[in-house]
Amino acid sequence: MKTIDIFYQGERLNEIDHLEAAATDTLGAIKALLIQKHGTAPDALLFIEDGEEPLDDVLALDAIAGPTGAKLHLHRCRRVEVDVTFAGETVTHSFAPGVTVAHIKLWAAERKFCMTREEAGEHLLQISGTHERPAPGTHIGTLATCPVCRIAFDLIPDERVNGTTTYGAREAA
Amino acid sequence: MTPDERAFRADVARAAFRLGVAEGHWRLLRISWPHALIGVVAKDEREFVLRFNCMGFAENPPTAGLWDETHDAPLAHDLWPRSQGGRLGAVFRTDWKNGSALYLPCDRESIAGHDNWRTEMPAKIWRPSAGIVQYLELVYELLHCRDYTPPVRAVA
Repeated sequence: MKTIDIFYQGERLNEIDHLEAAATDTLGAIKALLIQKHGTAPDALLFIEDGEEPLDDVLALDAIAGPTGAKLHLHRCRRVEVDVTFAGETVTHSFAPGVTVAHIKLWAAERKFCMTREEAGEHLLQISGTHERPAPGTHIGTLATCPVCRIAFDLIPDERVNGTTTYGAREAA
Repeated sequence: MTPDERAFRADVARAAFRLGVAEGHWRLLRISWPHALIGVVAKDEREFVLRFNCMGFAENPPTAGLWDETHDAPLAHDLWPRSQGGRLGAVFRTDWKNGSALYLPCDRESIAGHDNWRTEMPAKIWRPSAGIVQYLELVYELLHCRDYTPPVRAVA
């Protein structure tokens, strides 16, 4: 039996999780398994990473899996409102909860704040009012809960590691 | 097996580390406690091997330097990734502890004496709950930033 690795994230899940499922398993069966495992509400939706719409329960897992498996997201919100603030200006858009922080950064930096790809690479998203900078592969659904379904970021430059030290001058930055 | 080695082995079995492996971002080469060799792939697909010392993991941060797996020795400086004066060069410093530790706030050797980093760069301070993936994500990002330039010399 062919099996497929599933790496998944979801509402109130603190970290990426993994399971292995048969290629012929339906997404409905996988969703039911995840709902049971994590005690999520039965009306939760299953998304593929960076996909815009919930997945159809009748599809088989191998219909959506890529070469490294399937990256999924389980969440009660169909959409998450995302605010990104840069240089005093805030842009807003609603994304599916399985959309990655990397995708949103490119949307904000390049499409909304007109940065080049290289300039965008020198910036990152920090959750507003915190020092938290989610990894690029983080799904925004892990940062927002139902029924609020909203998250705000600041787009900030990735600072150069620098600083003074109590060690000798040769070792100081 | 010591508790820190057990914790490290459990950490590299977590989904976040395995996803990085599946996506070709990094791979575990070997563990010879307290050291672990992990290869991280740059944007030109060159692999740079880091030799981590994970003594006291995960409460204590690891420390890592670039390593030549073939010669089982620190990587010659002309095989290091180069910088154009940006963020990468501030971390991959041959003049910092003879190149034995990356100049990162999450590195055990480098955080010593840099208490200012705790307030200036809190996001880069070691978080035991995030595990080795936190260190690897920072390195992977640097090896993919615009400042990254291939080494002077190609590997023989």
